[in-house]
Amino acid sequence: MEIDRGDGRKPNQLRPVACSRGILNRAHGSASWSQGETKVLAAVYGPKAGTKKNENPEKACFEVIWKPKTGQIGKPEKECEMILKRTLQSICLLNVHPNTTTSIIIQVVNDDGGLLPCAINVACAALVDAGIPLKHLAVAICCSLAKNGRVLLDPNKSEEQNMKGFVYLAFPNSIQSVLPEGSLQVGGEPVEHGIITSVTHGAMSVDDYLLCLQRGRAACEKLSVFIRSSLK
Amino acid sequence: MAGKGAATPATYSPSLTTVKGKKKPPIFADDANWVRSDGRHFHQCRPAFLRTNAVNSASGSAYAEFGNTKVIVSVFGPRESKKAMMYSDVGRLNCNVSYTTFATVHRNQGSDSKELSSMLYKALEGAIILESFPKTTVDVFALVLESGGSDLPVIISCASLALADAGILLYDLVAAVSVSCLGKNLVIDPILEEESHQDGSFMISCMPSRNEISQLTLTGEWSTPKISEAMELCLDACSKLAKIMRSSLREPLSASEE
Amino acid sequence: MAAASGSDLSSEMEVDAFRRLFPLHFHERHLLKSIRPDGRTLGKARDTIISLGAVTSANGSALTKIGCTTMLAAIKLEVMTPTVESPDEGCIAIDFHMPPICSPIVRPGRPADAAPVVAKQLSDTILRQLRYLWKNSGMIDLKELSLVSGKAAWMAYLDIYCLDADGSLFDAALLSAVAAFSHLQIPVVSLNDEGRIVLVSEDNGGGKLEKEPVNKEKRKLNLATIPFSLTCVLHKNYILADPTAEEESIMETLVTVVLDSSSQLVSLYKPGGPVLAHTSAIQDCVALTRQRLKELQKILNEAISDMEVD
Repeated sequence: MEIDRGDGRKPNQLRPVACSRGILNRAHGSASWSQGETKVLAAVYGPKAGTKKNENPEKACFEVIWKPKTGQIGKPEKECEMILKRTLQSICLLNVHPNTTTSIIIQVVNDDGGLLPCAINVACAALVDAGIPLKHLAVAICCSLAKNGRVLLDPNKSEEQNMKGFVYLAFPNSIQSVLPEGSLQVGGEPVEHGIITSVTHGAMSVDDYLLCLQRGRAACEKLSVFIRSSLK
Repeated sequence: MAGKGAATPATYSPSLTTVKGKKKPPIFADDANWVRSDGRHFHQCRPAFLRTNAVNSASGSAYAEFGNTKVIVSVFGPRESKKAMMYSDVGRLNCNVSYTTFATVHRNQGSDSKELSSMLYKALEGAIILESFPKTTVDVFALVLESGGSDLPVIISCASLALADAGILLYDLVAAVSVSCLGKNLVIDPILEEESHQDGSFMISCMPSRNEISQLTLTGEWSTPKISEAMELCLDACSKLAKIMRSSLREPLSASEE
Repeated sequence: MAAASGSDLSSEMEVDAFRRLFPLHFHERHLLKSIRPDGRTLGKARDTIISLGAVTSANGSALTKIGCTTMLAAIKLEVMTPTVESPDEGCIAIDFHMPPICSPIVRPGRPADAAPVVAKQLSDTILRQLRYLWKNSGMIDLKELSLVSGKAAWMAYLDIYCLDADGSLFDAALLSAVAAFSHLQIPVVSLNDEGRIVLVSEDNGGGKLEKEPVNKEKRKLNLATIPFSLTCVLHKNYILADPTAEEESIMETLVTVVLDSSSQLVSLYKPGGPVLAHTSAIQDCVALTRQRLKELQKILNEAISDMEVD
């Protein structure tokens, strides 16, 4: 396959991924995640008693605090907080610890593209480290669409800027279950093909989006194997 | 645009090309012959458009449009007071006035909303039967969509209508009207242009059917006969305004009965 | 357990009480009959109204209502010095406000959580940040906002106020923003001796203008492609278009699809939520948005032509 990426990667090749858990000793759970030059830390505190105002006290509540590398938080960070919070809420078992709040603090160490997917991955790892009950993990990836219509996975920042558009996707990890194969299908598709989170930037055709979806799923399957092994 | 937004270059809105030294608009003329820019008589109010139930998610709300002055007021409650509040056997009233960024000619130049909020509070306080909702708070929030002069009286009238719409017990509706003194003349319900050139202003908010005044403000230099003239003008206008307010409250009722 | 007890009680309870105590059950019972509490079918959006020119103190404005959700958008033009990198481009600043009047959740002094998120989504959709190579991919060519290259350009402040929040905030906000841009009129201005831009009033424009106006006549912006959006709620296998605030709070999975008039996908936004979106659901949401796009386009065109008649 023709190599057309700045750092010589193949279109489907991710940057080197590294994940470690339990790096902070005062937090209840913590993790770091790096993908190429992008690096993010996460710390989890909780569950603490009580929920915030306007939250449902019958369920566990989550709070995400996004700390950028430098400067104050603005609208983009607020949006990341909201997306991350809703993503994590959807993978946690909310009925186990009702009327509690769990805080997740995301510290960006370095941003070289694909920040939000890295944050989702690191937050999951930190939740596992803290022992928060989860339904499954969320595995996130960035797919970008080059001008020639080709899908490039996990672009870095300089690549992101030359793209027609890019998509952040989060899927559930592939479940290893004792149930017979095919019992966990929804409308002919395995459960792990369902999108938890999707955020797009730039215009693309619907077919391009579906192509990204397909490539993203394939990459997430590999990534979920990696996460599983690194969390053991 | 986050990067660009931080270094937003200083902007200005272009002003009109008026040649300096040209004779000022006739509003300054000290004779009784000038005509108000919207063609009204000195003692004529702008046509009032009032409508209740403007905001569905509020307990009660009202929209008021007097010429270019457009105001929305929402009332929430009676609801739980803030946790930090002490026990109180009468209800609390909480008022807040804000301006949209595009309400004024120049962007982001809405009047001091803190002061307006406290003025609104004082005008309404006396009209609400606070004993009827002990321990709880009624929130009155006003948003000025467009400022076209006489903002405060419009806000007050609109707020009392919204309170009535929310079913809060009132002694009476509060109607408010202001008068500007321009030279020798008194003009009622001044527009923005007239307000900016006024020598003094006078505002009354009152409960017409009880013949009580809940707030009276006076700025500038006034002689005693002028004050009583202004007072009469305002009280007369208030009672007329209150009638319009009352009928706008009845409208949705009669519509639903049909 | 709540659901089971709910079904037992439903026959002996008033509808309103049932709705409040077992909201999920209440809605699911409607869904079984393929209808919603407000009488809509699942794929139908609420009635939509656009009225242009609601604010006289702004250069362009629009009021939109989708059901009870009301948005007021207004654009004010100011003059700025363009940046060195793009001397012949103007700028657009977009902000979204949720004043305390719009919802019982918002209190003064504490901005709503949703406001910055919607603001960010709006500026992403309208401006499209990926301008590095693909210039002018957004809705508006920023070059149209230029006045004097390197000296002066228009800064368009678009402020959107939510007057009544009843679900699908982004859809209503985007519609009002688009409508305000289509109503925007750029005034006639000229450059004065001090290098500042001044307005040329229409009445003295007879003939004795000392300066050639920079912007000769009142003009409107060319909108290249117009984005329209539809938010759907996913619940089990149901897809509900254009949810109300109540539906949004009970069934939490939201998918917002933005398509532009040339049928390109501008955004597919699904921030988490307990229901996973499978390909078929995504395609259904896109199809619903296609339908909605045609409806909205018609409503917007009618509003514009009504304006021109006046």
